[in-house]
Amino acid sequence: MVTYEVLQLIVFPGALFAICLAFLYEWVDRKLFARVQGRYGPLYTGPAGIMQPVADFLKLLSKEDIVPRACDANLFFAVPVMYATLPLATLFMMPIAAPEALIAFDGDLIFILFAFGMMTLIIFLAGWSSASRFSAIGSVRSALQMLSYEIPLGLVLVCPAIAAKSLSVSGIVQWQAANATLGAALQPIGLAVTMVCLLAELELVPFDIPEAETEIVAGWRTEFTGWRLALFRLGRDLEVLLVAALVASLYLGGAQPLWLIPATAMFVVKTAAVVMVFSFVRALFARLRIDQMISGMWKYLLPIAALQVVLVQIGVGV
Amino acid sequence: MVVNWARSGSPWLIHFNTGGCNGCDIEFVAAVTPVYDVERFGIKLQGSPRHADILAATGPVTSQIAQSLRRVYDQMPSPKFVVALGTCAVSGAPFRNCYSIQGGIDSVIPVDVYVPGCPPRPEAMIDGIAKLLQRIRGAKK
Ligand code: SF4
Repeated sequence: MVTYEVLQLIVFPGALFAICLAFLYEWVDRKLFARVQGRYGPLYTGPAGIMQPVADFLKLLSKEDIVPRACDANLFFAVPVMYATLPLATLFMMPIAAPEALIAFDGDLIFILFAFGMMTLIIFLAGWSSASRFSAIGSVRSALQMLSYEIPLGLVLVCPAIAAKSLSVSGIVQWQAANATLGAALQPIGLAVTMVCLLAELELVPFDIPEAETEIVAGWRTEFTGWRLALFRLGRDLEVLLVAALVASLYLGGAQPLWLIPATAMFVVKTAAVVMVFSFVRALFARLRIDQMISGMWKYLLPIAALQVVLVQIGVGV
Repeated sequence: MVVNWARSGSPWLIHFNTGGCNGCDIEFVAAVTPVYDVERFGIKLQGSPRHADILAATGPVTSQIAQSLRRVYDQMPSPKFVVALGTCAVSGAPFRNCYSIQGGIDSVIPVDVYVPGCPPRPEAMIDGIAKLLQRIRGAKK
């Protein structure tokens, strides 16, 4: 039985499955982004360019590894590793193949919030360790961004937990299955606020302020080359998957079988839908200024999030 | 094998103007617009030389910028390739033997592909880069 569990963690629905899905979603994202702009997107690397993220990853692995003399070598080594492993570890708490996650405990929702905070901290350290002015500006912007989206995000993520009376993502999925309802139907405002906050968490347009290419080169990633950059890209892809899985689990019913369709297929369909919404938004909007982002988050998103909490509390019954 | 496939499948470009008249740059920017859609080849425009594989240089090398060109080239992780876009970048062309001009890009750094034209059409630039990719794919270890 132990081997079976280890196999579950490593292959399906664990690490290997998550990495493949993450690469697949990067392709979906790039392809859809290109289609919205009237282009084809990746086309020649594998059928319809589906191997593009893999090619990028392998190419970066095979490139020279440069460590700038001024940087903090230990941190410079540790940061990409942490950035790739943290979302992978957190994905184990997402119900993927069944309504019950691989690692489910009461309070893993809190852990996920903590992981999001940690990601930003790692980004900050990444910028700090590379001792470059572009990286420093990028990482400070990233931290500033976190200070704005983290609070509305925390507030709205509590709503499904209040409704389901469970602090575990698996518990919330099972509650939705048991009551034949969707979080999105009960808390549409919460869903919208979550999507906006998670866009900021992923640093996607219109919130790609920390890595604004036209202003600060590549932000906090400027100095990273070779396998370090490859791990950063992998970590980003896994984070997108994690975020999509979170939205799908809390608001769209997550991995629960529908008639003959198995839970995994439902999970893939729902997360793909979330990723597509993200790429649509990415293609349609332009970057906000950092002050617009902060004041928008604090002035509008925070009260809306609080309103959602109140509504849920009234709905549940005080 | 796999490495060559990966390298030729995901070339990331960085654009550097070494002192041209901007004609080549406008054509280069046109080449990365949706009309020509170079992402088909996996080409992405990068801001940082640390992330780039191919340096797309335009214009003749002025004495002032020679050092910076060298530095940007050194900052790129190997294996790295250089594409000289435009007659200026190929040889220095009308500005050759000018008091402030050192010559083409290859007077400072090694160049893999030359694309002549004043300015070359976006199709010519993409063709040059595609030829480079072909060579990377066929490269023996
Ligand atoms: S080749 Fe022609 S267009 Fe290009 S930089 Fe030189 S003069 Fe300008």
